[in-house]
Amino acid sequence: MPRTDLSPGERLYLREAVRGMGVLARHFWKNLFGFRDPAPEVMERKGRGVNLVSTINYPEERKEYPPGYRGMHRLVPRLDGKPRCVACYMCATACPAQCIYIEAGEYEEEAIEKYPVRFEIDELRCIVCGFCVEACPKDAIRMDTGTHAPAVLSRPLAVFDKESLLRGPAVEHSTDVLTYRVPLKTPPR
Amino acid sequence: MIETPTARLAFEDFGPAIPPRPAFGRWLAGTIAGWTAFVAFLLFISWLLLAIAALFARLGPIGAAVGNIVGLILILVMVTATLLTMADRKWSALMQDRVGPNRARLSIIPGLRNRPLKGIPHVLADVLKMLFKEDFIPEGAMNNKVLFNLAPLLAFAPAFMLFAIVPVSPEVTFLGQRIQLQVARVDWGILYVFALASLAVFATALAGWTSDNKLALLGGLRASAQLISYEVTLGLTLVGAFIAFGTLRLEEMARLQGMLGPALRSAVVLAARAGDFLVRDDSVLFGWLPSWGFVYQPIGMILFLVAAQAEIKRAPFDTPEGESEIIGYFLEYSGLKSGLFLIAEYAETVVVAGIVTTIFLGGYHLPFIEPTVVRHFDFAWLSVFQVFAFIVKMLFIIWVMFVVRWAFPRFRYDQIMRLGWKMMLPISLFNVALTAGIFLWAGREGLAWMGGIEWLAIIAFVALSARAPRAEEAPHASH
Ligand code: SF4
Ligand code: SF4
Repeated sequence: MPRTDLSPGERLYLREAVRGMGVLARHFWKNLFGFRDPAPEVMERKGRGVNLVSTINYPEERKEYPPGYRGMHRLVPRLDGKPRCVACYMCATACPAQCIYIEAGEYEEEAIEKYPVRFEIDELRCIVCGFCVEACPKDAIRMDTGTHAPAVLSRPLAVFDKESLLRGPAVEHSTDVLTYRVPLKTPPR
Repeated sequence: MIETPTARLAFEDFGPAIPPRPAFGRWLAGTIAGWTAFVAFLLFISWLLLAIAALFARLGPIGAAVGNIVGLILILVMVTATLLTMADRKWSALMQDRVGPNRARLSIIPGLRNRPLKGIPHVLADVLKMLFKEDFIPEGAMNNKVLFNLAPLLAFAPAFMLFAIVPVSPEVTFLGQRIQLQVARVDWGILYVFALASLAVFATALAGWTSDNKLALLGGLRASAQLISYEVTLGLTLVGAFIAFGTLRLEEMARLQGMLGPALRSAVVLAARAGDFLVRDDSVLFGWLPSWGFVYQPIGMILFLVAAQAEIKRAPFDTPEGESEIIGYFLEYSGLKSGLFLIAEYAETVVVAGIVTTIFLGGYHLPFIEPTVVRHFDFAWLSVFQVFAFIVKMLFIIWVMFVVRWAFPRFRYDQIMRLGWKMMLPISLFNVALTAGIFLWAGREGLAWMGGIEWLAIIAFVALSARAPRAEEAPHASH
């Protein structure tokens, strides 16, 4: 009973073995003498004398993350710097990891009265699913920072509070009808 | 740099993002400087080895031996073996388009802050780690503590003793002393290698047995079987070389592959009288081929390399270790003892490369230019260049062995046995008979012709052997 359907010549594997060693040797010398092509995509490095090493030495070199990358959360600020968030608890409800903690508060003299007094995200529990972004009715939480959660030395440091989450460019939509810009003057009694 | 708002956020968190930079100029300067420094370093080491030997030789014959032990075994083999632990990882990285280990840094030294230094600090880090690991002895090994501790030593010691008979330079007058870079000049020459190499079996068998661990025992058994089977081939492959050179002594073999001393001297005198710049190398075969061992013994060389690879248990013959299935016979060892096993493997690589260089690659001989070097420098300088040549050839053989190690998948145990007993042993026997017959019939000249024809045959055989079916045409590979 033959154990293989290869012919005896094929089963010697001699030529393929020598060829394999040739491939390794070629890569070795190419990478030893080749210089680093600036093209970040390895597949685009085709020139002569270019080495094929695809590693990006991480802390020293970093690529920008692609546009769709779900990075660190941020609480989107309004033009006046306060969070857009209205503390509706949608994100906290949608979050499958239950890592968002919100305490609601009330502005005294603004049209939008509700705001988060505390807004905390435990980045260690977060599974980076992006459901919170989808759930938010006010476009108040986004994951467009282009960074990932930084490494921390103890667990409490991974809980990001409102102050550290509230950053990045402010956002204003034309649909923000009752905005803070038309303060509801409480009529004098 | 920072264009988009998100890039600014990333900058706040992690500092500037530095994409891979075009570095042609830096690369060119670095490459030229680096290789110049490397060659200069090797030349310096060559000079240093000779100088150490000459210095110790003032103390008499014992001193000369001690000098050679210090120079060759402690410096050449030990340092090369240590660096090979790194080279193995770095070279494999280059072959696989990776960077290789480069995170250990000598940041405490001001100039070397944040410089990977080609990964060499990793050697230091590894040694430190092994030194401070717990020296653990499993409970089952407690009864056999002596044997358990003996095994790494038995693996380590022969590997280093083996280099004693490898001649790194010819006999030469250096700094006023008559020296030769060879620890022991003994009549039984290469037999010493076979004798000591088989000691490695005890190490693996003892380690496997006393560890009281099934997998270690398996590794030890596999190692014993493999080492004993391949020792036969290892010996037989070199018989052809014995016939070709008519001696067992490695220094004689090395000497015979270039011009002999007196012939060299007279050729140089004649050339000086005639005012020639180049001096003809009389040892060259057919006018262009260095008369090195690989010309006489192609089959012997290839089989010896394969058998040696099996003998030192490196991939593809690493079933005794087989990291991914059984950890190997040194499974229960920790700390420095495990380190001894590992470094012994690399030391054996160095030794095998040294022996192959000596027998098949002309030893310390430079091709073609030896008499010319003597004519323009002198014999002392020639010996420096010769030691340099030896080291370069040795490094080349080591590199070839590493390419083999990374190119082939691990053989199955039965495949190893079949290759050893059913293919390599008959071929090496055939080689012995053929070499002996041709030598009786036509002498060394005939052997050179035979070697040439054999090389052509080998190349033709490889080129004409069927290539494996490609994936798209293979009938069974597509579903
Ligand atoms: S990304 Fe997912 S897990 Fe993380 S906070 Fe948002 S909803 Fe929760
Ligand atoms: S869903 Fe949006 S608005 Fe509602 S609490 Fe979460 S972040 Fe604030």
